[in-house]
Amino acid sequence: MAETLLNIEGLKTHFFTEAGIVKAVDGISFNLKKGESLGLVGESGSGKTVTALSVLRIVPKPGKITDGKIEFNDENLLKKTEKEMQKIRGSKIAIIFQDPSSSLNPVYTVGTQLRDVIMAHQTVSKTEARKKTIEILEVVGLPDAETRMREYPHQFSGGMKQRVAIARALACEPTLLFADEPTTNLDVTIQAQVLNLLNDLKKKLGMSLVMITHDMGIIAEMTTRIVVLYAGRVCEIAETHDLFERPRHPYTEALLAAVPRLDMRKTLRVIPGNIPNLIEPPSGCRFHPRCNYAKQTCKEDIPVLEEIESGHFVACHEWQNITLKGERSH
Amino acid sequence: MFRYIVRRLLYMIPVFLGISIISFFVMYAAGDPLNIIRLGRPNITQETIDALKVYYGLDKPIPIQYLTWLTNLLQFNFGKSLYGGRPVNFLIGSWVWETVKLQLISILLAFAISIPIGINSAKKQYSKQDIAVTSISLFGVSMPTFWLGLILIIIFSFQLGWLPSAGAYGAPYLWWDNPVLDEIAHLILPVTVLVYVMLAQNIRLIRANMLEILRSDYILAARASGLSERKVVYKYALRNAIGPVITYLGISLGAIIAGAPMTEYVFNWPGLGRRYVDAAMRLDFPLVMGINMVITVMTLIATLIIDICYVYIDPRIRLR
Repeated sequence: MAETLLNIEGLKTHFFTEAGIVKAVDGISFNLKKGESLGLVGESGSGKTVTALSVLRIVPKPGKITDGKIEFNDENLLKKTEKEMQKIRGSKIAIIFQDPSSSLNPVYTVGTQLRDVIMAHQTVSKTEARKKTIEILEVVGLPDAETRMREYPHQFSGGMKQRVAIARALACEPTLLFADEPTTNLDVTIQAQVLNLLNDLKKKLGMSLVMITHDMGIIAEMTTRIVVLYAGRVCEIAETHDLFERPRHPYTEALLAAVPRLDMRKTLRVIPGNIPNLIEPPSGCRFHPRCNYAKQTCKEDIPVLEEIESGHFVACHEWQNITLKGERSH
Repeated sequence: MFRYIVRRLLYMIPVFLGISIISFFVMYAAGDPLNIIRLGRPNITQETIDALKVYYGLDKPIPIQYLTWLTNLLQFNFGKSLYGGRPVNFLIGSWVWETVKLQLISILLAFAISIPIGINSAKKQYSKQDIAVTSISLFGVSMPTFWLGLILIIIFSFQLGWLPSAGAYGAPYLWWDNPVLDEIAHLILPVTVLVYVMLAQNIRLIRANMLEILRSDYILAARASGLSERKVVYKYALRNAIGPVITYLGISLGAIIAGAPMTEYVFNWPGLGRRYVDAAMRLDFPLVMGINMVITVMTLIATLIIDICYVYIDPRIRLR
């Protein structure tokens, strides 16, 4: 078995707002092996992005990591000083954000922004940094990199901007990359290109990838293992094909049923209701108000994540009593 | 860039002409200069009045008068003051310097102080420091300048006797008989008033913009790239936050260049603003119109400088 690169245990990240404490991430645990592609799945507001920001320790105010452990290469990131974290961010752990238009600074050239990242982590001269900038822009497939690095983000198309954002994340060859819905704001054809690029680069650099998305199609293609989040907690962890074929958590089943399919002419099944209010989340299992299989115990007791088969974890009181449909059978 | 500047300079010509026309006719509507002379010398004969009318060209049709005035203006001949008869351009020359000195120092100081304070306030929103800064700013925005000026004079000139209360020069006995220190001593109170008022506005603007920008995705992305906090705030955020402050400066430039007459008045400052008000009250036509046009040109140039700064700061503004 490959070595563990990232191990998150009981992570809690809460937002202390005027309306109350928003428990965006409330006791999440999972791990990631070296070279692995992990999917982080869930609806908007399930805590996917906050988890990634927590690992980098850049949770915006009024958010705060209140409990847990984040081990990266066997070192607890939560014990590091801000200076030590700055050295890790961008060089060992990097992130690509959803919207490339807003994640690039509008008033600096693309070249300057990349050069700043390189020079923050490597002791190189400006000329060397410039050379590296051109190299990495060429790696991500930006044509005519030497001229285009002198341009500003608004002069680029959406797909090209995301390539630049990828270049910035990969500039220092990180060992772990979070991709936070990297293709949500792109055209479908560009989406495929960007995903292929990410896959290629992942192989080339031998890094681990955490793919954050709610698009089950992308997850199926890009990952080998999946963590399903709901309202700040882990519902299920399993290998990708296993999860698609034999989901054990009712929420996973519902997510799979909500994927549109061309080969089956059926109305799309939506999950009734909304993600719960995270200031006062539902008692017991957080999914119980929307769950078809909920019993009295689900309202009272918080289900623990248990390993039901080798590598397949689920947090559900009823998993033994219910048979759920996988992706093929919908 | 060069073409942009040339184009902007060309745009200034119609603006300048427009203002000159408005300025000329407003003054024309304000009264008859000959009546002022009559008022000053009640015994003046009708012949002298007629002679003066010809001398000042007031017997000619209005458009001709305007063109004569404009032609003279373009040759830097602003006419002579109705009071004392000294050439207007000679008078304005010395006043412009005093006003520019006062304003330039104030603007630069206000910026130098407000940027770090505004940023810090935004970084520590709702901290004690932030609340103190915002309250003091609010006080500054809402307070009339003349009141603050008078209070400062009462405290520092009359009670403590540390600083001169009026003028720009001439109280060397206060500060060790040194002419340079004397000039500085005279600047302190008016600069304090002007800086305080501008500071209040600037801090509020920078704080508000910074708050918004620090929450933006590209700042989060910059942090995620491992850039130092200093670089994130002073390089990546500041340049985005400073734009509106420059715009505000551009909008308020007219008032600033006109010399914040209130402040100049309170401190009896020998600058353009104070003399402008004086001249207008005495209906000294050539002087008022001369100052008008000087202020116009200065505002146009300053606006151009601001526009160029803006293009430099934000590349999304196209050079059209």
